[in-house]
Amino acid sequence: MQAMVQTQNLRKTYKHADGTSIEAVKGVDLEIHQGEIFSLLGPNGAGKTTTISMISGLLTPTTGDAVIGGYSITKQPLEAKRLMGFVPQEIALYPELSARQNLLFFGKMYAMGGKALNQRVDELLEFIDLADRQNNRIDTFSGGMKRRVNIAVGLLHRPQLIYMDEPTVGIDPQSRRRILDTVKQLRDEYGMTVLYTTHLMEEAQELSDRVGIMDHGAIIAMGTQGELTQQVGEEDRLEFTIGAQTVTDELIERIQNKATAVTRVLYNPPEQLSEEGSESTPARLIAFAKRGRTALPLIIQILDAAGIEIQSVAVREPDLEAVFLALTGRALRD
Amino acid sequence: MKILAIAWKELYTTFRNRNLILLMFATPLVVSTIIGLAFGGDGDSDTPDFANIPVAVVNLDEGFNLQDEINLPAGITNPDALPFDPNDIVFTIGDTEINLGEQLNLNFDGVSLNFGDQLASILLSQPIAINNTVASAGIDSTEITCSLLDTAAENSAGNFSSESALDELLDATAVADPDVARAGVEEGEYAVAVIIPQEFSRQLTPRFYFEDDGRLRSDLYSEAGAVEVYANSGRAISGAIVRSIVEGIVNQFGRVRVALSATLETSVNSLIDSLEGGEIDVSGLVADVPAVIANLQPLTADALEPLGCLITPGASNITVDQQPLDALQEASRFARITVAIGSSQAVFFALFTGIFGMYSIYEERQQWTLQRLIVSPTPRVYLLAGKLLGNLVVVFVQLLILLSALTLIASIVIGEPTFVWGSNLALIFLVILALALCVSGLGVFVVGLAKTQEQVVLFGPMINITLAVLGGAFSFSLPERVSQFSFIYWGVDAFTRLASSQLDGATSQQAGIVALFNTDVALNLLVLLGQGIALFLVGAWLFKRRMEL
Repeated sequence: MQAMVQTQNLRKTYKHADGTSIEAVKGVDLEIHQGEIFSLLGPNGAGKTTTISMISGLLTPTTGDAVIGGYSITKQPLEAKRLMGFVPQEIALYPELSARQNLLFFGKMYAMGGKALNQRVDELLEFIDLADRQNNRIDTFSGGMKRRVNIAVGLLHRPQLIYMDEPTVGIDPQSRRRILDTVKQLRDEYGMTVLYTTHLMEEAQELSDRVGIMDHGAIIAMGTQGELTQQVGEEDRLEFTIGAQTVTDELIERIQNKATAVTRVLYNPPEQLSEEGSESTPARLIAFAKRGRTALPLIIQILDAAGIEIQSVAVREPDLEAVFLALTGRALRD
Repeated sequence: MKILAIAWKELYTTFRNRNLILLMFATPLVVSTIIGLAFGGDGDSDTPDFANIPVAVVNLDEGFNLQDEINLPAGITNPDALPFDPNDIVFTIGDTEINLGEQLNLNFDGVSLNFGDQLASILLSQPIAINNTVASAGIDSTEITCSLLDTAAENSAGNFSSESALDELLDATAVADPDVARAGVEEGEYAVAVIIPQEFSRQLTPRFYFEDDGRLRSDLYSEAGAVEVYANSGRAISGAIVRSIVEGIVNQFGRVRVALSATLETSVNSLIDSLEGGEIDVSGLVADVPAVIANLQPLTADALEPLGCLITPGASNITVDQQPLDALQEASRFARITVAIGSSQAVFFALFTGIFGMYSIYEERQQWTLQRLIVSPTPRVYLLAGKLLGNLVVVFVQLLILLSALTLIASIVIGEPTFVWGSNLALIFLVILALALCVSGLGVFVVGLAKTQEQVVLFGPMINITLAVLGGAFSFSLPERVSQFSFIYWGVDAFTRLASSQLDGATSQQAGIVALFNTDVALNLLVLLGQGIALFLVGAWLFKRRMEL
């Protein structure tokens, strides 16, 4: 398959005034194939947006380069940018302008004009189902409508590659569903390559042909969903939400010894689950087992005997969340 | 096209912002109108309200001796060139021998002129005494007439006094030292200092000389009496009034010198022709002195008439009460206040537009439209140029609309259509453009210099207010040299000068373009454009950093 995006050792370091520096992206190597949806999955602060900003030419990499459709983003930025559309996480629209005026203005930034631009704007307004509101100011739109216009701007010049940076943040489920369908439509009907960033495992699972999992500025795993889940084995994941009681190492050892199907146990005290360390956040105990449903009664019994209050229990099949957890020891939503 | 699209977007978003519109237009209009009404009345003022303008008059003019200039050493410069030598013509009158050459020489000897004295006397509202002398020729200066002179302005005593209009208008004081006078202006003791230079009379008087063929010729000095009018920046209107008066008087001196040059040349040459052709036979004259004088008198009177114009006080036809002051001085009080206060307020409020227009780069960054533009295949320099162009046009439109609205308000208050800014539209547009360049250049500079949004919000208004205080926008004046640091001073001064302009509407367009650098506002334009371009370039260089994300 032909590569649409290739990055080599993409790195971004920020220097502080006091002389110290922080490495936001630590040498990312990526290859995104033409016509695929590639998701960058990771928690907030993992470096997804910084990576996508460097690939799109918004930020200059400290080292490394990205090649888009054969053009280097650092050496031939204008050629590379002509191939790409950009849908940022924020609603990057002028609130004082109408939907149509926004589309016309950004169309001109892609050297479009005249009838061709007007016709394209009409098409896109139909595509996002806002033709009847096209002359209304953006600041009178709902969040979901703004998101749709935000996406339409990225599609104006029929790009071969489109970046979408968490495009479903802060919208209602109905609008979210619509956007996810649109993303699939772009690949399936228009053959576009989509680079999609999200911190929501469900979105990545639903949309992606391939996924790159990012944490602390580095890609820690990359491949199809099947390839990734294989990395953590075919284990079920048993998640216990427990009360304020402390789970001792002795208790964890007892679970692993008595419930023979259990391969390992992770314990997240409340302070690891929340950056704020809120006391109201419950602790979580996670056990990996070959046959989760068999091990479940035994674990409950042991915890009960130890006086641990179990607030909820969930049994999960292997998924990207499990992969992330297995690789980092932390839940994705953390 | 991309630059224009960005500039259009800037214009559109600016003029859709109601709060900004309020700040840009309503506030300065209301402030200017209130101040105008408070200090300018209802505009029903026919007579000039400016009275007793304190003026220091320094007369350094050393005068001019005609003998030094008409080169007739002991008769005629080059007697050989003439068919006869005037020194050879000797009359014997009684016991006295009279040499024609000496006689001619005596006629001119001691004729001392001082135009500076005349100008100073007019400004000081003092009688102009004859300080010229015509020595021993037996010709009474009071008998010398000048056809150029308006007889109504000449009194029988040979003295000339200016009309009382200046007496009411000016509170003039004679000062000996020009530095003292300038210091007085700086300190506010005087609104204006009029400094008449040493060479004033010499520069105004034609230079006469005889050529080899015995003919009299004259040259005009290229520089015509450069009188310095040193005005206080905070009293621009007073300065313009005094300057207008001085210009009017000096221009009339200048007109007379041109007429004198031609007439005297012709008359003397006619005399020489008559002598040469024998039409006047003086060789056989033997009579008493009164008879000789009587014989010569008609000739002398004709020949010396132009000289009479030169030495007769008031021959310059200076009638101050007929001298129009300037358009602004003749305008109503409200119009004058509108020009001074309205223009400074317009520029002051435009300063905020300039800074907060460029400040929008931060808003664009926050709402991610800047990032979206950067990700598009548009060079960053285009983004910058579009933004700057948009800001420049916004400021230009703002100033244009404000000045137009102030014209309308002034017309309503005065009760008749009154174009308070003068009629030279080309120059008015040019001054507005130069100011818009300064204002938006300052905006770019401030936003480029500030490290954070907060710094722009804090320092922007501080800089604006400082410039406004220096430039006299708050109705009090600072020493001119200090005020000149603010381009508001140069802008208001330019508008005041244009409003004082006497150009009529029909010729104003051509005059504005053709004589651009020969106008009263040439220096203002030069300073404004220079400051504007410098601020723009430095600001753009600094501002580029704001495009980095």
